Amino acid sequence: MSWETVVGLEVHVQLSTRTKMFCACRTTFGDPPNTNVCPTCLGLPGALPVPNAQAVRLATRAALALGSSVRGRSVFARKNYFYPDLPKGYQISQFDQPLATGGRVALESPERGRIEVGITRLHLEEDAGKLVHDRFPAKTAVDLNRAGTPLAEIVSEPDMRSPGEARAYLVALRQILVYAGVSDCSMEQGSLRVDANISVRRPGDARLGTKTEVKNLNSFANVERALEAERLRQIALLEGGERVAQVTLLFNAGSGQVKPLRSKEESHDYRYFPDPDLPPLVLSPEWIADQRAELPELPDARRARLEIAFGIPAYDARVLTSEVALADYFESVAAAGVEPKAAANWVMGDVMSTYNEGGTFPVSAERLGSLIALVRDGVLSHQAAKRVYTELASSLGEEPKVVAERLGLVQVSDEGALAGWVDEVLAAHPAEVERFRGGEAKLMGFFVGQVMKRSKGKADPKAVQPVLQEKLRSG
Amino acid sequence: MSAGATAARETGARLAAADAAGLNATLHWSQELLDAEGARVDAMGRPGPLAALPIAIKDNIVTTEQPTTCGSRILEGYLSPYDATAVRRLRAAGALIACKANMDEFAMGSSTEHSAFGRVKHPIDPTRVPGGSSGGSAALVAAGVVPAALGSETGGSVRQPASFCGVVGVKPSYGRVSRYGLVAFGSSLDCISAFGRTVDEAARVLSAMSGHDPLDATTIDHPPVAAPAPLPDLKGLRIGLPREYFPADLHPGVAAALQRTEDAIRQLGAELCDVSLPHSRYAVPTYYIVAPAEAAANLARYDGVRYGPRKVGPGGDIRALYQATRGEGFGAEVRRRILVGTYVLSAGYYDAYYRKAQRVRALIADDFRRAFASGVDLLLTPTTPTPAFRAGEKTEDPVAMYLADIFVCAISLAGLPALSLPVGLTEGLPVGAQLIAPFFEDERLLAAAAALERVVAATAEVGG
Amino acid sequence: MTIGRDQVLHVAKLAELAVREGELDRLVEQLNRIVDYVAQLDEVPGDAPADPFLPGPPSVALRQDVPGPVPLTRPPAAFAPEFADGFFLVPRHGAMEDL
Ligand SMILES: [Mg+2]
Ligand SMILES: [Zn+2]
Repeated sequence: MSWETVVGLEVHVQLSTRTKMFCACRTTFGDPPNTNVCPTCLGLPGALPVPNAQAVRLATRAALALGSSVRGRSVFARKNYFYPDLPKGYQISQFDQPLATGGRVALESPERGRIEVGITRLHLEEDAGKLVHDRFPAKTAVDLNRAGTPLAEIVSEPDMRSPGEARAYLVALRQILVYAGVSDCSMEQGSLRVDANISVRRPGDARLGTKTEVKNLNSFANVERALEAERLRQIALLEGGERVAQVTLLFNAGSGQVKPLRSKEESHDYRYFPDPDLPPLVLSPEWIADQRAELPELPDARRARLEIAFGIPAYDARVLTSEVALADYFESVAAAGVEPKAAANWVMGDVMSTYNEGGTFPVSAERLGSLIALVRDGVLSHQAAKRVYTELASSLGEEPKVVAERLGLVQVSDEGALAGWVDEVLAAHPAEVERFRGGEAKLMGFFVGQVMKRSKGKADPKAVQPVLQEKLRSG
Repeated sequence: MSAGATAARETGARLAAADAAGLNATLHWSQELLDAEGARVDAMGRPGPLAALPIAIKDNIVTTEQPTTCGSRILEGYLSPYDATAVRRLRAAGALIACKANMDEFAMGSSTEHSAFGRVKHPIDPTRVPGGSSGGSAALVAAGVVPAALGSETGGSVRQPASFCGVVGVKPSYGRVSRYGLVAFGSSLDCISAFGRTVDEAARVLSAMSGHDPLDATTIDHPPVAAPAPLPDLKGLRIGLPREYFPADLHPGVAAALQRTEDAIRQLGAELCDVSLPHSRYAVPTYYIVAPAEAAANLARYDGVRYGPRKVGPGGDIRALYQATRGEGFGAEVRRRILVGTYVLSAGYYDAYYRKAQRVRALIADDFRRAFASGVDLLLTPTTPTPAFRAGEKTEDPVAMYLADIFVCAISLAGLPALSLPVGLTEGLPVGAQLIAPFFEDERLLAAAAALERVVAATAEVGG
Repeated sequence: MTIGRDQVLHVAKLAELAVREGELDRLVEQLNRIVDYVAQLDEVPGDAPADPFLPGPPSVALRQDVPGPVPLTRPPAAFAPEFADGFFLVPRHGAMEDL
């Protein structure tokens, strides 16, 4: 008998601000420890928080991009617990009156096709510091540079039904947030962090099973792996007649296993209450409307537009919009007046592979445009064009035509030159000539190939045939 | 010798004498720092409104030169790497920081017996308490050591000791003076407040340090308090007497002193009328839920990780470090309040205590709003139910100690400006009268008090 | 409403406060005294205004996103109880991954 998996995700994204959530310290990554600190983020006696306007703006944008409704009045609350990376002994977050509620993320489910995952809430909070466990013997080192960095916490509904859907949700969510310019969402730098809640139940069962929380998920792939491992662990328990305990688990990327951390029974009582240092956050409807108006084009909209405006396949549109930069590049290549499908093929091929490696575009969109035009006009063969592209990638701003000529790749369609190669080929293969004249018409392909070979690919195949025809008939 | 240097010398001499006399009102001061302050003031281009005025600073207001301990072992020797906004503004106005004043630990107390560094003695009768928690500041002004001092109020911690010691103590409207650098106790209640020998001195100090501060999101964008010209009389003013503040069992000396104050007010041409503040009777219980709840969170940062003395504890792990550092670093009253505050916020009790207290707080504030809306300009009450009590009298029963603040708590909960004015002696001990003004009417409060100050015989026995 | 020993110990654990031997009974008694005292708020009818009273500004004023923190006149090393190579140090403990 089968099991249904139910997954909900809590995602923390670091908002792209210059300064921290509640103090004017820089948020730069990788500075020497405890250098971007001040009385407020060190939790010194007497220091007070003052919220960052840009963090509020970016979190609002994120909410609007997810279709959430932004509250005109939200409240900062203190989440009380002791931990060495938490300077004040409480985290300033939002609790019963968050910045935004509702919303959805549309995605392609590997199992169910296009689905929508609901957003429960989005709220503002401050990050904790960083702990280093392996640097000093028997000591844990505390670096508070990151303490107070602005975060948006985005909580989803338990709408995902497989580890694959969880991964697809994260890809779609990340794409929206990057498009909206809210965060760089880099998991490597910890600017996007994921906690997953997962339970299993029998299909059709209305009640949710006991859920567990999986932490320490440092890549989208690991989210999928960890959830798969935990899904199987829970099913094994239930089928063994045991029950699932409500625990928090850590994923070990090395072993691919999840290990229980602590049971909820002994989990903290956070004693949330409104932060008396911070009056309510009040946002006017006009201001919220302005933020909505300033939202850039989001992934779904752009995908649809590329499909319609350029008449390219849905698949191509999805690949090209996976990254803002890629979509921008494609549009400027297409703008160079070449056939959009050809431009799409180039961007999804050679361009994308170099982009994925270096994250850059070594060949300007204009040059790629004129390169594609050379192929269209029969000046270059597709093979030759690929060689020119590689050359352009390393050359300093030469024009494709110039490079093609320098490499002697420009196709020859001049009768005289072609006749020379054709004569050589026919002279070299008398037997085949006989058989062709005997009626083996399919040998034409062989002769063309031989001519191309002798011409080192320079001969224009379209021009070669008539010459061959001519010479084979005569004589 | 120029004004600053002179003030530094004379103040140093008086501080030394006070310490020698065993007042125990100071925690940190040195002649070197005083002389440096004097030199700094003398070097200022323009002398400033507080030119060469020596001011004692309650030890829960951070200063970079002297340690800031809040009267607690947990901050013993702590040197702040930044100055409180109020301190910066006072120094810029030409004041000299004279010393750091003793206080109830983390401002939790009403007698300054809860200092980790010993109790402060009442300047008139050493067997009695100066009130608290700002008892050190009050005693230093009363003993003539400094003309003015900073205290802090959470639930009357300046007005109550001002009343006990016979000096002027002014609590501004909440949000009028920056809390940046005031070590937090009850953030929604805390106000840096001023002591002076006279209303004018307190008003000048208040004026110099008040005003919006971008570093404190709870300050209100409003001009600083203007030190007002004292009114010639009180003609045209209606002053309300909230009947709940004049109980039958009020100390006879206090009652007599208030009676005499009412007469003085009439002589000045003001009209007195009865008003009612029915929910004020719930002020103390409300306060003892709200303040400890906020304190429990505000004092979580004293964990021995980043500053302050650290106790490693038996287990030697981080939890043991926390529990030993906090368990040994905090005194009994502070530990009690942290536990109460944690309890009233904990799962299952939040609604019964904290949420309920928030609602009652709103009702208490609404009583005042209504009273003022009914055409009353100011309110008059006794500051305390009795004169200064004896040391040790209330230390065994926390609730008995809390009740010493019964007339001052409600005003703090409502965030209103109020002051205590000395209005006479009973059996040689000072009695204070409390004047309360509407929100942000601090100037009206000070002007009326200055007028009243000229006619009440603050140092005369009232009998009773 | 009365608080038992276990409850006091639980709250003390939440507050990370070591309760000394022999101190507990007195603490239990005093906390009950205080909690019974504040419980008189139950007399107040429940129809009180729902919105909590805020003494400060009605809405928070935001800060522009411009670097420039309040400077420290002395570095963390000067006030930290244990500090090395720019880090605050604490004892490492088994459950350190326990978030
Ligand atoms: Mg969070
Ligand atoms: Zn900072």
